[in-house]
Amino acid sequence: MDNKYDIAVVGSGPAGLSAAINGKIRNKRIIVFGSKELSNKVIKAPKVDNYLGFYGITGAEMKKQFKKHIDAMGIKITYERINAIYAMGDYYGLAVNEKIYEARTVILATGIEYTKPLRGEEEFLGKGVGYCATCDAPLYKGKIVTIIGYNKEAEEETNYVSELAEKVYYVPMYRGAYDLKRGNIEVVSDRPIEIQGKDRVTKVVLKEREIITDGVFVLKDSVAPNQLVPGLLVENDHIKVDLNMQTNLSGCFAAGDCTGKPYQYMRAAGQGQVAALNAVSYLDSLK
Amino acid sequence: MIGEIKDINFSEIIESSNVPVVVDFWAPWCGPCKMLGPVIDEIAGELGEKAKFFKLNVDENPETSSRYKIASIPTIMVFKNGSIADTLVGFRPKDAIKGVIENHI
Ligand SMILES: Cc1cc2nc3c(=O)[nH]c(=O)nc-3n(C[C@H](O)[C@H](O)[C@H](O)COP(=O)(O)OP(=O)(O)OC[C@H]3O[C@@H](n4cnc5c(N)ncnc54)[C@H](O)[C@@H]3O)c2cc1C
Repeated sequence: MDNKYDIAVVGSGPAGLSAAINGKIRNKRIIVFGSKELSNKVIKAPKVDNYLGFYGITGAEMKKQFKKHIDAMGIKITYERINAIYAMGDYYGLAVNEKIYEARTVILATGIEYTKPLRGEEEFLGKGVGYCATCDAPLYKGKIVTIIGYNKEAEEETNYVSELAEKVYYVPMYRGAYDLKRGNIEVVSDRPIEIQGKDRVTKVVLKEREIITDGVFVLKDSVAPNQLVPGLLVENDHIKVDLNMQTNLSGCFAAGDCTGKPYQYMRAAGQGQVAALNAVSYLDSLK
Repeated sequence: MIGEIKDINFSEIIESSNVPVVVDFWAPWCGPCKMLGPVIDEIAGELGEKAKFFKLNVDENPETSSRYKIASIPTIMVFKNGSIADTLVGFRPKDAIKGVIENHI
């Protein structure tokens, strides 16, 4: 026996939990990544009338029922955010910062993120645009870097980059006090419009001004699915799946809002089940 | 086995080879590079003599890294007759990388 999980479920909304219970019923070694609240989109629903068997339930009550269900089956959630998932050939490596979890199959149930990429962001990805400042910072030693930060954690990365870069512009996309350490960091409270350049990034255009820069890091809560899983096929902002919830990568399945519309609880739960059962068939076929 | 390529022998190696040369630009501090390493090793093993494989440490070889404008690692470049035939930025699944290299064989 090696220490690889059979199924790693990424996401603890209805899709992920439904995948988890079905994987567990089939006696597979599973690990589920997600949050204590299970899903913000579940707890926020004022009233749900279309979840069969639970007429008029509130989101908060539904969350309680989901929690009771997984507890009864001994399913624990690992409260960690996956940064990247690597298709290694016959298994997947799931990275949480420096730590790597290994699993033979993956079920993506990450929901959907509404923040659209900036103009130029995708075009210049890898040509000056990046999503992991701490990863690529050493390449910008002595250069000018712009960081567009969507959350507090981005400040920490900005502090790190400022130790290497000559000058750092920090464009916060939220309000608050910014914990930025060094004098070479300039906070730019303005709205970014577009990233421009020729072969490589040269500047960021904001509403009120332009910044000449060698690199731009866009640091968000969650990244697009094809950033999370390099090589994953995405079509119209959704993960492309077949009727078995299989993606273009063998052993990688997806379920719920991340695979497309309509965005609904029952569809998510149903797809999670289909994904788990097909992951089980796939695992059995490996033997 | 994958050899190391450096600033001093870079041009000579990519220009003198009569098969495609695949260079993996990496650094020890880069997580995705660590994941990509064994994937490249496997591909190199499977393709045998049909292509040559090298690793280049960007920290130790700034000249080559800046000449080829490496902005993000891992970056894989495929060279043919001394010039760039293909570039892949970021980690990719094994089959995807192998497919790109095979296009140039
Ligand atoms: C206010 C509101 C009301 C709604 N009302 C209804 C309704 O009445 N009926 C209905 O059918 N639908 C309703 N919906 C839609 C419903 O919420 C979604 O369709 C459903 O939650 C989708 O489930 P999911 O499992 O695909 O994703 P989500 O519920 O979004 O869950 C995704 C989970 O994945 C986690 N995650 C994401 N990325 C990572 C990562 N990298 N690592 C670890 N974890 C990660 C997230 O933290 C989250 O826990 C409503 C939505 C809202 C916002």
